[in-house]
Amino acid sequence: MTPPVPAVLAELAALAIRSAAPGIPDGERANALGLTASLLAIAAETWDAAAHHLVEENQAIRALTGEVGRDENLRLTALQAENNRLREALITLQTRAESDGDEALQTRIWAELIISTDRRRLSTAPV
Amino acid sequence: MAHPLEPRLATYIAGRLPEASGVTVSNLERISGGASRETYRFLLSRIEGGQTRTRKLILRRDPPASLIDTERRVEFEAYRAFHGSAVPVPEMLWLEEGSDALGHPFFIAEEITGFQAGPAALFAGATEAVLARVAERKWSILGDIATADPAPLAATLPTPALDECWRRELDHWAGLIDRDADQPLPITEAAIRWLRANPPPPAQRLSIVHGDYRTGNFLFDADGDIHGVLDWEMAHLGDPLEDLGWSLQPVWTFGRQGLAGGLCPSARAVAIWERASGLHADPAALLWWTLFNCVKGQGIWVGSAAAFTSGGNRAPIMIYPAWWLINAQERAMLQVMGRL
Repeated sequence: MTPPVPAVLAELAALAIRSAAPGIPDGERANALGLTASLLAIAAETWDAAAHHLVEENQAIRALTGEVGRDENLRLTALQAENNRLREALITLQTRAESDGDEALQTRIWAELIISTDRRRLSTAPV
Repeated sequence: MAHPLEPRLATYIAGRLPEASGVTVSNLERISGGASRETYRFLLSRIEGGQTRTRKLILRRDPPASLIDTERRVEFEAYRAFHGSAVPVPEMLWLEEGSDALGHPFFIAEEITGFQAGPAALFAGATEAVLARVAERKWSILGDIATADPAPLAATLPTPALDECWRRELDHWAGLIDRDADQPLPITEAAIRWLRANPPPPAQRLSIVHGDYRTGNFLFDADGDIHGVLDWEMAHLGDPLEDLGWSLQPVWTFGRQGLAGGLCPSARAVAIWERASGLHADPAALLWWTLFNCVKGQGIWVGSAAAFTSGGNRAPIMIYPAWWLINAQERAMLQVMGRL
């Protein structure tokens, strides 16, 4: 997710401290805490599966691009950086498949892209 | 405890009301939302002709960095263009483009009171009959916007040729995505390629485009009538189908799948708009504009993430749309392209 979860949690911690101070108008305090709660809920929902989804997706894209390899560093920042690299390669591959008229490859890429949105889907998402 | 902006705001308004004395500002509070502008409501009191008068007003102030970067004059002039017309909007009072008075540019407007805007309130309590009434009013008003004379805004806004409306908007939003996205977006990029390869026909006319006409950006009552169209900060001149496409794009169903704006089937919304505007919504052109609006939405969501990450605006409202909508927006693109 972007912005990254650690940066957001740090900001929310600071906001919670500010919101607890006396003299904050009730409406502003309620607004800040309501948004904080919504963001914490999203972070909680995505936390457990975040690494698993990135590893799964990176492997799926390598299968499409023909790369050999696996994720050795399982820190989320490392997995996300590799995911960014692979998704950039996927855009290049899909663009080439379109210009070459390679329908079979396009179909495989679209199938993975649809699955990728399932992986990222939030329970509260409108689509 | 009085809000620190109150005395500064009172001083500013006193300078705009030389015939008044005893100008005070009270009850100033920030209203939820307002990702592109900081929005506050407040009570203005002053003495005029020996009588104390009060009025509820709205302050819209630029934040340090915004979810949507627009000139506040555009928004101000768009509201003014429709005041007193069939399109209900609040009265604009003062525009301040300098930063001396309140730290950032701002404008002050009438507050339309007694109504709600939030989709949650609409969908939680309203009957189906009321939702049908809201839909009727929503797309009728959009038809009125589409057929309004664009001349009052021509001095403030660029006037694209009819066959250039699509390219101007697509170039703008694709450029913002290129600038702001910090992670690759393969579906968004595929949608942009498709849009460039399959342009729509020239616009039927040059219209005022609201730019963010969706459920949540108008004030409604319990009977389903609409009393104010808000959030004109993305107003511009362009193809009238653009606003219709934004109103139909799937993230604005708010999870009420199959219902445009969460209110009624898309075909019904289009029929209301066509009847009100007298314009035709060619299905292929409307599909283009609906998909384009998915790309535009993505431009806004990645822009909000970029504003947070760059440190320009650390408000949580900048995070929420990015976390909640970037993936949903890609699923919306899949849906519009018939792949989901």
